Amino acid sequence: MSKKRTGVFVCHCGTNIAATVDVARVAKEMAGENTVAFTQEYVYMCSEPGQESVVQAIKDNKLDSVVVTCCSPNLHEKTFRDNAQRAGINNFTCEIANIREQCSWVHNDKAKGTEKAIKISRSVVRRVNRNKPMDAIAVNVTRKAMVIGGGIAGIQAALDIGNAGIEVILVEKQATIGGRMLQLSETFPTLDCAQCVMSPKMVEVKRHPKVKLMTYSEVQEVTGSVGNFRVKVHKRSTYVDPDKCKICDHCTVVCPVVVPNEYEHNLTQRRAIYIPYAQAIPASFTLDEDACLGLNPVVCGKCKDVCEAGAIDYDMRSQTVTEDVGAIVVATGFDLYDQANMPEMGGGKVEDVLDGFQFERLCSASGATHGHILRPSDHKEPKDVVFIQCVGSRDPAKHCAYCSKICCMYTAKHARLYKKHVPDGRAYVFYIDIRSGGKGYEEFVQRTMEDDDTLYLRGRVSKLYRKNGKVRVLGTDTLTGQNVEIDADMVVLALAMVPSKGTVEIAKILKIGRDKDGFLAEAHPKLRPVESVTGGIYLAGAAQAPKDIPETVAQAGAAAAKVIALLSQSTLSRSPLIAKVRRSHCTGCGMCVEACPFTAIRLDNGKALVNEALCEGCGSCSATCLRAAIDVKNVTQLQIHEMIEACLAV
Amino acid sequence: MSEQQQDYEPRIVAFLCKWCSSAGSDLAGVSRIQYPANATPITVPCTGAISPMYILSAFNKGADGVLVSGCHIGDCHYIEGNFLARRKMHLIMQLIEFIGVEPNRFRMSWVSAAEGAKFAQVITDFVNDLKPLGPQEKLKKVVGL
Amino acid sequence: MINLQDIRDTARDMLTKGEVRAVVGYRRGSRGMLAEPAFITDPAQADDLVWDPTCFHNLSLYLVEDRKFLTHLRKTANAPIAIVAKGCDARSIVVLLQEHYFKREDVYIIGVSCEGTGVVDERKLAPRLNGAHATSAAFDGDDFVFTTAEGEKRLSAREVMADRCLECRNPFPKEHNAVFGEDKTGRQLAEPFAALTKFEAQGSGERWDFWSHHFDRCIRCFACRSVCPMCYCDECVVDSITFPVTAETTAEDKANRIRWIERSAVRSENITYLMTRAMHLAGRCTDCGECERACPVNVPIRLLNNKMERQAREKFGFEPGASIGGPSLVASFLDSDPGDFIR
Repeated sequence: MSKKRTGVFVCHCGTNIAATVDVARVAKEMAGENTVAFTQEYVYMCSEPGQESVVQAIKDNKLDSVVVTCCSPNLHEKTFRDNAQRAGINNFTCEIANIREQCSWVHNDKAKGTEKAIKISRSVVRRVNRNKPMDAIAVNVTRKAMVIGGGIAGIQAALDIGNAGIEVILVEKQATIGGRMLQLSETFPTLDCAQCVMSPKMVEVKRHPKVKLMTYSEVQEVTGSVGNFRVKVHKRSTYVDPDKCKICDHCTVVCPVVVPNEYEHNLTQRRAIYIPYAQAIPASFTLDEDACLGLNPVVCGKCKDVCEAGAIDYDMRSQTVTEDVGAIVVATGFDLYDQANMPEMGGGKVEDVLDGFQFERLCSASGATHGHILRPSDHKEPKDVVFIQCVGSRDPAKHCAYCSKICCMYTAKHARLYKKHVPDGRAYVFYIDIRSGGKGYEEFVQRTMEDDDTLYLRGRVSKLYRKNGKVRVLGTDTLTGQNVEIDADMVVLALAMVPSKGTVEIAKILKIGRDKDGFLAEAHPKLRPVESVTGGIYLAGAAQAPKDIPETVAQAGAAAAKVIALLSQSTLSRSPLIAKVRRSHCTGCGMCVEACPFTAIRLDNGKALVNEALCEGCGSCSATCLRAAIDVKNVTQLQIHEMIEACLAV
Repeated sequence: MSEQQQDYEPRIVAFLCKWCSSAGSDLAGVSRIQYPANATPITVPCTGAISPMYILSAFNKGADGVLVSGCHIGDCHYIEGNFLARRKMHLIMQLIEFIGVEPNRFRMSWVSAAEGAKFAQVITDFVNDLKPLGPQEKLKKVVGL
Repeated sequence: MINLQDIRDTARDMLTKGEVRAVVGYRRGSRGMLAEPAFITDPAQADDLVWDPTCFHNLSLYLVEDRKFLTHLRKTANAPIAIVAKGCDARSIVVLLQEHYFKREDVYIIGVSCEGTGVVDERKLAPRLNGAHATSAAFDGDDFVFTTAEGEKRLSAREVMADRCLECRNPFPKEHNAVFGEDKTGRQLAEPFAALTKFEAQGSGERWDFWSHHFDRCIRCFACRSVCPMCYCDECVVDSITFPVTAETTAEDKANRIRWIERSAVRSENITYLMTRAMHLAGRCTDCGECERACPVNVPIRLLNNKMERQAREKFGFEPGASIGGPSLVASFLDSDPGDFIR
């Protein structure tokens, strides 16, 4: 190995460094290091003449590495590295020694400051001695994206990505896209009809030349890494050809099977062959093979007999397709907290106690009751309706500790809708606080309270039960200090938002983390809200945290922007300062695999193997390894060892 | 305190994580907050990358105090590194204390990129706590006759 | 009470049928009453196997040796190897399995329960024998029975068993393929970590006096490391002498060896070695006590490992060798890990 020739360039930074650090002495001390072939001081090393002098010095003295002792690397590391590259040496053989922010600016005793600056500089010189030249890692990128989840978040993300000219596959578990928003009647604070807003978007998705829609499908397996994912999707058979189906309704009428309609939240029934909503996309019927009397062999066959379009095909089979994509957006949405968990609120067994979605379906003109708010028990119009907020939310002792964010708003909306449908009805809202922070939200709630005579009671409900055909609600009003008993015709619970079952499953398949409440974990709570910890996988919508529709749409757009940025390159450039295994020392114990926050290491033939596309270079593996068999390049244990020696002037 | 003891300046090796504590140290600099010059920083990618051997090595080479500083729990740039560090550093700290070395010689702190003042205070406090303990001799390398 | 013949028959049977390629067990040694490790490949040798209170060795060490031998010869095993394992030894095997040192199907564990009486500590026994030379030792209920020239000497096991056995919580090999002897888990003779608690009651000054004295005495013979099944690393981080040169070793690897400590057996270097070892064994040491038994100068090494084990149990809820698929101590974390020492 030929002798190292490091150049040390000591910056005065005007008087910023030179006033409290004897820069000449730093240069002199560094010249004494046996790997240093050249030293130089300059007043402003980052200036153009300063940088030129470095380039010249590298060429004239045949330097192979550079240490610039100056300000924080956050400022000029890239500048000096690019400069070194210009001069013909690899940029990773250039390191910065911070003797300004971490030395000259904080110590006014010149003797002590200089001693420290010498130690800092020396430690970086020793480190650079072992730096290897590196090139950024190039990873090929498949210019295609996948969006998992066809609610408003998924739809928006798919449209934004498609509009950028990138092919995108939208995978949805249900027979129609639209998700939760399609189930709503109106949206706050504008009271827009939800379907009127959704339908055009859903049709746009269907018609978009870049969007491939896969409904009634689920992601089964994902392998690969950022830029190169391979996804296996199970496409369930609907037994109906969507291109031929004329949605004429004749098949439904003759179907003998009646099952609860999950799209109407069990308020009504459907047949085995059905369409979820009139506005469903794809605009086609679906045959639910689990409900059907039998297809193999065919037991009934009536629907096919009456289908004039010849769209029904009992021989259609499920398939598993494999798609290669470069990026994935997860938008799998939310469920409501199970009423069975709240026995004090009836545990889901008390009649006429509804959840928010059920109430929406009652309000909706296309719902089970054609827009009339009727009690499920006797189909009579309820005259006293109690709305209870915070059911399951804000309860760290027994249920969900967090606030579900949207319930105050949609409860106010529900109260407004109720009063619109039943003008002579009385609406009561039990609340703890009112959280209405969005645009127009506070005004909306105030109008509900003032204009509509909705009675807002600040207190919780301890219990409700059935009595004499009504639901007796026992609550309290803390502002008057009185207990309140209401014999309600109907109760609507604002249940906590929880991550959907699909979210839990997809997180396992994608190996992305979930937070303590089960929502998808973002890479950084403040600065990276749409990225998962895993490169190439992005998050959007309520699967990541409770949020309303405007936030969902914004987040979907943000996720799409990240995808577009990622896929706009033909190759990805990643920092090469990643972990490397010393196979001769690795015993395959697997501790590094366990420690890695990015699951970037696996055991391959009994030894650790680092996935270059996933490794972030954090070094957790290296500190865990008992036998120093894995190290981060250019930040190796040997380098740290030598830096420690330099710091203690050993 | 004798004159010799008054002149004694403890030597500290400070392992700072790049994303939080080193940035916090930079902020102290930008804010021109003055603090003692006893701690020489070594910036690592993450506190999770700090092997207990570094601590032992620093003491072996004569450090009077060793500081490990990183991101607050839940804020680690690499998600979990500081959780791993919390455990390992606890073990090495307990071990050092167990054999009778003054527990105050090893210190760990969480300093975020926004906590320049805290960083300066951590160093100041550490230096003040180390001074009465005198030079570290128990673990320091002494070889040869 | 274990019927020794059962162990012998099992070994003979498996060797005859070719189900295992060797049996690692104990046989009578050449020095008085002491047992020694035995490697039996011929079914006829099965009758050499013994089981008595002097079977204190942790035979899982030889599973490690076997693996290294096979690797060195570039061979793969054609059949599993059987091993006679006490409760403590079985836990060592679990740790080795956890770390993928070999596969579960590569080892056939013949578990033997000490039935709560543990094994003998020679140093505790010597004064009780009063100079007499014991030629054999046997389990008998709660006692050990020693045969000497002057006749039989019966002693309560409690008085002469190893400290680690007194403190043991699990005197039964939970992980096993076959097992002999009763499960006496739950019998409490001494509080776990009794010796450690007593030591920690002293002040910092006294503790330093104690340890500095012992660190000075350590001669860095590495017997503790050699006898420990967990110290299977091809190159120990503190020591470059055993650097294995394999086909995959590069010149760079050789040049980049870190010299953490000097070779001289002086206090500061001994401290770094012993503390590094304690850290590396944290969460992996199953307290077989062999390190302390093997130390020629009687450094109380077990105390260091026990300290780490206690931290692991009490602060992190971690038990070494509990289950093959379990997490490793330093590669995992809990939200409840203590953090109040952090400013």
